Amino acid sequence: MKANFKMALDSIFANKMRSFLTMLGIIIGITAVIAILAVGNGATSQITGTFNDLGASTISLSVSDKAIKADYITKADLQTMKDSIQKLDYISPDARLAGTITSDFSDKSVIAYGGTTDLQFTNQTMKNNLVYGRYFNQNEYDDAKNVAVISEDGATVLFNGRKDVVGEKINISYRGTALSLKIIGVTASSQESTVGFFDAENMPVFIATPLTTLETLNPELGNLDSVTVKVSSKDDIDSVSKQMVRLLETRHEKVGDDLYSATNFLQSLDQIDSVLGLFINFIAAVAAIALVVGGIGVMNIMLVSVTERTREIGTRKALGATTNTILFQFLMESVILSLIGGIIGLVLGILLANGVASALDIVPSITPGAVILVLLFSSAVGIFFGIYPARKAAKLDPIEALRYE
Amino acid sequence: MIDLKNVKKIYHTGGEELIALNDVSLQIKKGEFTSIMGPSGSGKSTMMNILGLLDRFDEGSYILNGQNVSSLTDNESAHVRNKEIGFVFQSFNLMPRMSILENVELPMVYAKVSAKERHERAMIALEKVGLANRVKHKPNEISGGQKQRVAIARAIVNQPAVLMADEPTGNLDSKTTLEIMKIFQDLNADGTTVVMVTHEPDVAQYTKRIVSFKDGRLMDDQLVENPIIL
Repeated sequence: MKANFKMALDSIFANKMRSFLTMLGIIIGITAVIAILAVGNGATSQITGTFNDLGASTISLSVSDKAIKADYITKADLQTMKDSIQKLDYISPDARLAGTITSDFSDKSVIAYGGTTDLQFTNQTMKNNLVYGRYFNQNEYDDAKNVAVISEDGATVLFNGRKDVVGEKINISYRGTALSLKIIGVTASSQESTVGFFDAENMPVFIATPLTTLETLNPELGNLDSVTVKVSSKDDIDSVSKQMVRLLETRHEKVGDDLYSATNFLQSLDQIDSVLGLFINFIAAVAAIALVVGGIGVMNIMLVSVTERTREIGTRKALGATTNTILFQFLMESVILSLIGGIIGLVLGILLANGVASALDIVPSITPGAVILVLLFSSAVGIFFGIYPARKAAKLDPIEALRYE
Repeated sequence: MIDLKNVKKIYHTGGEELIALNDVSLQIKKGEFTSIMGPSGSGKSTMMNILGLLDRFDEGSYILNGQNVSSLTDNESAHVRNKEIGFVFQSFNLMPRMSILENVELPMVYAKVSAKERHERAMIALEKVGLANRVKHKPNEISGGQKQRVAIARAIVNQPAVLMADEPTGNLDSKTTLEIMKIFQDLNADGTTVVMVTHEPDVAQYTKRIVSFKDGRLMDDQLVENPIIL
């Protein structure tokens, strides 16, 4: 075994240029496969990750355009759903109001979110990742207290670069009505999801207040046409969605009218995933064809090698090599040839993937499974395309082989 | 040692039958040094191939070292060749990419001898042919006579029952021929049975017995009266 291994290596290194050119097909094939898989998987997991951040376990509950005012979701509906549906973790409207915000120092446009105390869990922009102070509580919601949570960026803009602005006053005005709010918390800026919509200059200030408070500026906000729901596990999405819709239909006496619908990010994620998967598979198939071409190269060179070494094979047989010994020797040579090609391809593929990925600003993903797969696959190419030349060598008649010039 | 009885070998070429060996019987005892002679086409090469278990025959029987080897499978033949027969070829047939030591070790690789023992036994064999100091060299770095000595070391390393040499001096000058014949004689003196095919009558004079073939038949079989001992 060891002696055979050494013999195979000797023969590969004896014709360095030829061996390298033979490997080139395999190297290119494996490089392509690894780079595509790594970049593709990296892109997929990045997109998946983004969607998971956005809330794979988030359900968006909305009311149809056909609905009349009485069909809209009420604050009492929210409470009932939260109390009666077990797997439902958080539920909050994210009513939105765009107006102007004023501090003692400056004024800006503002987007104010109004919700229940669960807003801190359902809203992507005003999450409960507080740097100072706290979120508003149930009492403040129930009593419509004039309190607000502001984003760190907003605080910086309104208070000349200060961030710890807890206790400060701000004024919100909307269509001629104004409201003075006390800042009780500052959240870390996490506006990746909205940042794309605004340039830095026009970036509005984001704040969160109890819905009840926001309603004093615009009473219409209390008629909810959409609410956001969080469940703890993706598995609960379907059952919670159905229960919510049924409960709303019952409470509003609109069973079967199809007024309420629940949608989830996961559904769009699945679609993107499958399109991306199809694309990766297609390119991988093209790369696999390159590998097959490489394999044919291996077969070709092994056939040449068998012919060149006919006398050697005859001598080996005379010295006592059996059919299997010769078969194994040549098979080993083609497998090592393919495997070295595979390993070089693996290294080049990883380098290429890192290069492409850093240009595309994603993290390439190379799993141990992919590495093992590549090594197995290149060995398999070596065996598959090596078996015919090896059998040809093994079946040579020793007398004919010894006579070969 | 070798007991060949009524052996017949027929080649079928394009519908025609060519009788390469016709009813040949030959006994060779342990310790003999025999030349097989004859013009080309006489059947001497076929004889050598059959004796060396490289070829099969159609009729008759062959007993080698007490074992009936008349009808073996390919793998069985390979094992018998490995253990009982040492080959020396006209054109040396060394492995060009392997060192001299590795060349001599090769039959033991096929006999599944451990690496340590392979090395020891190869060194002993190389010492016998006077090449123990060049073991790391490749075959293309040594002379023709030295190549043939490596081939002889390779042939004896598994301690075979018989050494079969096919025109071993055919590619060598007369001085080197004598060196090689001396090695064969020395090995024979130590008890090794040697069978050598040659078409040179003067080379045959260094052996103890000459068997002559013509047209597929064994025509003549006699002892060399005064073999030249080198």
